[in-house]
Amino acid sequence: MRSQIYTTRRAVSSVSFARNRNIVRHSARGLGSISQIVIVGMITLVFGLIYVAEGTKATGYDYKISEVETEIAEMTAKKEDLAVEKARLTSIATAKNSAVAASMENAVVTGYATE
Amino acid sequence: MSRIKALKYLVLAALGVIVVRLFFIQIIEHGKWVEQANLQHTMLETIVADRGEIYMMDGDTPVPVVLNQTVYSIIIDPAVTNKERLKELLEKYAKDNITADIDEIYNIEGLRYFVIARNITRDVADQIAKEGVGGIWFQENNRRVYPEGEMASALLGFVNAEGVGQYGIESSFNDVLRGTDGLLKSISDVNNVALSIGNDNVKIPAVDGETVVLTIDRGMQKGVEEILARHLANTPATNISAVVIDPNTGKVLTMANLPSYNPADYSKVEDASVYVNYVTEVPYEPASTCKTFAFSAAINEGKMTSSSTYFNQGYVVIDGWTIRNAEQRSSLYGTIDMRTALYWSLNTGSIQALKFLGDNPDEITQVGRERLYDYLHNKFRLDQKTGIEVHEAEGIVADPNEGYGRDSVYANMTFGQNIYTTMIQMVSAFSAVVNGGYYHQPTLFAGKLNKNGELIPAEREDETRQILGEGTSVMMREMLANNRNYKVRMGIDKYGYQIGGKSGTAQVVRDGSYDNTMSETIASYIGFGGTAGELPKYVIMVKMWGEGQYMDGTAHGSAAFDDVSNFLIDYLKIKPGNV
Repeated sequence: MRSQIYTTRRAVSSVSFARNRNIVRHSARGLGSISQIVIVGMITLVFGLIYVAEGTKATGYDYKISEVETEIAEMTAKKEDLAVEKARLTSIATAKNSAVAASMENAVVTGYATE
Repeated sequence: MSRIKALKYLVLAALGVIVVRLFFIQIIEHGKWVEQANLQHTMLETIVADRGEIYMMDGDTPVPVVLNQTVYSIIIDPAVTNKERLKELLEKYAKDNITADIDEIYNIEGLRYFVIARNITRDVADQIAKEGVGGIWFQENNRRVYPEGEMASALLGFVNAEGVGQYGIESSFNDVLRGTDGLLKSISDVNNVALSIGNDNVKIPAVDGETVVLTIDRGMQKGVEEILARHLANTPATNISAVVIDPNTGKVLTMANLPSYNPADYSKVEDASVYVNYVTEVPYEPASTCKTFAFSAAINEGKMTSSSTYFNQGYVVIDGWTIRNAEQRSSLYGTIDMRTALYWSLNTGSIQALKFLGDNPDEITQVGRERLYDYLHNKFRLDQKTGIEVHEAEGIVADPNEGYGRDSVYANMTFGQNIYTTMIQMVSAFSAVVNGGYYHQPTLFAGKLNKNGELIPAEREDETRQILGEGTSVMMREMLANNRNYKVRMGIDKYGYQIGGKSGTAQVVRDGSYDNTMSETIASYIGFGGTAGELPKYVIMVKMWGEGQYMDGTAHGSAAFDDVSNFLIDYLKIKPGNV
């Protein structure tokens, strides 16, 4: 049985191109000095930004802490005010001078049940 | 040289100067600039601890009598603040807190800072701030608040401008109340907000002061002070003090001194004597109230009973001195018993108790003096500090053997002369006389409040000692109640209660000797009360005096005791017993 070998059109084409190519020596090219400076500068900038971002993040928490502490101080002051108000309202002096006390009648002598 | 070159050298020179300057700043003067930067960036603040509060008891519930409050001072810049708007605001919101005449303040040239109002509350400060008047700012302060006003002021004391407790509980419990301040050291921004950057940040939290609970019953204190105020107004006395103690525990229920003052305005006090707690700080000669102890000693030693007799001729001569009774009615001359001697408060009777104590009914002996000294000094502790938790003075009990005229000195001591005690020493000793013979160390300290507002009772070392026998106590109660039988008949003492007591009218020492004209005396009364047939529920001592005034123990002191005693029976809801 006769075997058939198929060759793709691209393979045929590359062979034909290879046959006609110029023989030129290409040297390996690196980054230029300006590019290197720019890249180092960019990297430094990125790291700097990361550092600033992290530092700012901590400071942001500090502002939140400061706000919370201020709030705590205000709530504490309010609590103190309420405690003082409560103590004043429940003090004997206040109770004695109240309208309710003024409208009360004098007590009579207490009697006790005898056995 | 081209101009470009010249410019280049110029720029290089300038850069050189900068480099040299930077070298100096960053290398040579490094320390100095770091220090200056730290001063600008570092916040160093004391975190002020809240001072503990003071509570009294309302039945079994602690109630506040001294609290803290954050208040504000209003500061103005007269060059900026609009005068008319300021007047309007202060008139509307803080009329009672203005510190000076506003017109006068605005007439002072160059004044840029003035505290125009003090002690305004947070709400008021908020309202004024909302009005948006320029040149006004607020300074935060803390102050002590006294919801009961002047009540128990000499007992409580006050806190001075430096935050240090002065007098009374505020002084003696200062270490407990003040707490410990904390510290905040941190890098801060321009708004003085603490930042967590930096390696040297320090935050030591403040430890707030503890809240102290007193054994004083608030309602009883108020009621007793009102009674004392009436007696102060209706007698020549200028001062009156009283103490009420539970004789079975030593807990002080009331400690009152009038005149009083407002601790919130302590700086306005003109007479500093109102700061003094006369119950604990001032020893005095207790006069005839002291007879109780001479009688108790002789009975407890088994040397006499209430029925023992002696011959009363109205006076006795000791060491060449004639000591007379104040009461000279003829019916008392002759042989009388000791109950009668105590009833009429005869000096010859208490001297007779001393004679009995010395095993010789006819004269005072060394044994008698030494035994009495043992009772007054070691058992009743009349010259020793009781250990109560406020400032107190010691008393004086003369040595039985050292010194001239010991017999006459000891004869005088039996009726309360030549002996100095404080009221708290007296009530502590008297409680032992009537409670079955047990000496309890008096206390004002019930405990502390925890963060949940629960009372943590004080842990006390039990220093209770039995110094008298039960029988002595029963006999003394009967004799002291006998002293007041006429009060029952007069309807002053309520029926069904055993109420007893002893009066004292103390001569005042002037220029080293007693003022025998009695132109000035100190009246006192000490007594107990409770259901008949049971142990007493309370012991009361009242003392009143006034410069140049004759104050009588029976007339003035006893009357004040009567009112306090009847008030306590109702207040404590003490039921009558079978007589």
